[in-house]
Amino acid sequence: MLTEKYSLPLENKKMPKPKLKLGFYGITGCAGCLLSVIFNEDEILDLIQLVDLKAFPFIKEVNPDEQFDYVFMEGLVADKGDLEELEKLRQNTRYIVSLGACACTGCVPAYRQFTLKENYEHLLYRKQKEVEDIQPTPIDAHVKVDYYIPGCPPDKREIVTFIKNIAIGKEPKPYENPVCVECRKNGNQCLLDLGKPCLGPITAGGCNSVCINGNFECWGCRGPTKDMNLPLMIKILKEKGFDDKFIQDRMRTFAGLKLPMLEQFFNVKVNVKC
Amino acid sequence: MRVLKQKKKRLFEFLGKLKQSYELIAPVSKDVVRFEKIDDTGDIYLEKNSYFPLKEYFFRKEEVLFKFNGNKIIVPAPEAPARVFFGIRKCDLNAISHQDMVFMNQVNDPYYSSMRKNSFLLGYHCNTAPSPFCFCGSLELVDYSDLMFYDRGDYLLVEIGSEKGKFLAGKFREFFVETNAAITQKEKIIPRADRLDKKDISHLYDHPDWKKGVDICLSCSACTALCPTCYCFEIHDNVGTKNPKEGERKRSWSSCQVQEFTKVAGEHVFRKEREERFKHRIYHQLDYFKQKNGINLCVGCGRCIEACPTRIDFVEIINEMK
Ligand code: SF4
Ligand code: SF4
Ligand code: SF4
Ligand code: SF4
Repeated sequence: MLTEKYSLPLENKKMPKPKLKLGFYGITGCAGCLLSVIFNEDEILDLIQLVDLKAFPFIKEVNPDEQFDYVFMEGLVADKGDLEELEKLRQNTRYIVSLGACACTGCVPAYRQFTLKENYEHLLYRKQKEVEDIQPTPIDAHVKVDYYIPGCPPDKREIVTFIKNIAIGKEPKPYENPVCVECRKNGNQCLLDLGKPCLGPITAGGCNSVCINGNFECWGCRGPTKDMNLPLMIKILKEKGFDDKFIQDRMRTFAGLKLPMLEQFFNVKVNVKC
Repeated sequence: MRVLKQKKKRLFEFLGKLKQSYELIAPVSKDVVRFEKIDDTGDIYLEKNSYFPLKEYFFRKEEVLFKFNGNKIIVPAPEAPARVFFGIRKCDLNAISHQDMVFMNQVNDPYYSSMRKNSFLLGYHCNTAPSPFCFCGSLELVDYSDLMFYDRGDYLLVEIGSEKGKFLAGKFREFFVETNAAITQKEKIIPRADRLDKKDISHLYDHPDWKKGVDICLSCSACTALCPTCYCFEIHDNVGTKNPKEGERKRSWSSCQVQEFTKVAGEHVFRKEREERFKHRIYHQLDYFKQKNGINLCVGCGRCIEACPTRIDFVEIINEMK
């Protein structure tokens, strides 16, 4: 049995450390990930007491010249300005936290890389000379990223847990199991069994299988797991009647750039009946 | 063991009456068959076994182990109401006996015990294997119910299996009649449920045929989440936002099928390969547990096969091994 003598490391009597300096920034994106932080209405005021919040669009000044401990970066690199801002912040911080799918995988904007130029050319900002287009890419294509909080949008609880952990000096741990782990625990009927093209088995969870709980299949917004069985996933979807183009498009919608090997698996033989 | 008789239509009257004194939990047919709290006994579904096992009622998906505040530790004392579980198949009764062994005999897990304490287990014997995946007949299952109902068409034979069962049968005696009938050992054998043809797989660990399963495994953990005997968990701490010295330590279900399961400090993963993980589950179920406890962990319910997205039938794989 546990006794009251059990002492927690938190209880050391040393001088309190100075609070961590945090900055939140967004480059090309929809600001939804930053909103996910704010959506923790009940806790946000207590949460920012644990840290020294130096920058946050819409609610605080921008302070780009500050020296940070952690910079949370939303959005992806889509033009020259994004890249300059990202590089500058990388120099001014100890750690970069990639916040949300655009920053982590490139998300929907990076899907452009898998279509023909003629499909999007007319949408580029030609008129504004200062917007200099670059291929949309996640931030780790340009700078070193220390932590990832994936998802479109990221799970608001995960953000709170992350900030609390760094505030108390505990190393944040990414969730690496596939979506199926939480999905089955949540008692859902498997959507693959219902013929839906669910990407849960190859997608990192941590979202509490929110889409499947709402009867909507996983599209892979949190990016692939390290341990995915990709050729098998492709085979299963083919067995269920989905064609190559559909499967490739679906897998590339949220994380295409993290699946560079995708094509090579379309002719792999796997013996599966389901 | 003492046997009573009950007319078929009296069964639901009996369950209805039970419901007035106890929480009644039994299988219902929804999107799939699940064990749920019963409001209307007409909802009880006995044609097939439940898709999800009963284990979450005892070994809960999430359990707060303790709360802390600075140096103070508060261990919660969860309490379950008196519950009657009806419609439990023989495999699942044995699965409960195995989890009792793990959580109550080998250690005393206060959380599991308190969930399990006030429960009555009312079994429903399969006249024939309800699913093509069943193989309980190949394993050495025992009687482990408070009352076991044997369906004989328009009546039921009810075997009293424990003191608790005797108590219930006495309390509701108006629903039962005395009989001279007995249930023979032969009648306890479930037809079409003896698919697994090997008693010992210890020498087959390096057999190339495992590949047949490994290649079509996603490491998705459906098999362990739906297994009525799997008892593995992970532990996480969460601190309060207002005061991070306050918080709780929680355990939640985990699975040997994922790499995280064997990840230790320094990021080393003991079972990195899918093959090792795939085999670990089957060997824990059909070999390691037996070596330690003298009985297989697996009870042959077939859920891990039915729930697997690619229907990996390890029984077939083992049977085909030369
Ligand atoms: S519905 Fe999707 S996420 Fe859930 S178990 Fe099935 S494949 Fe996995
Ligand atoms: S359910 Fe099937 S695919 Fe998923 S981990 Fe288990 S054996 Fe592998
Ligand atoms: S291993 Fe499979 S067949 Fe055996 S008890 Fe678990 S779910 Fe049932
Ligand atoms: S080690 Fe795997 S097979 Fe064994 S009880 Fe744990 S989850 Fe189940």
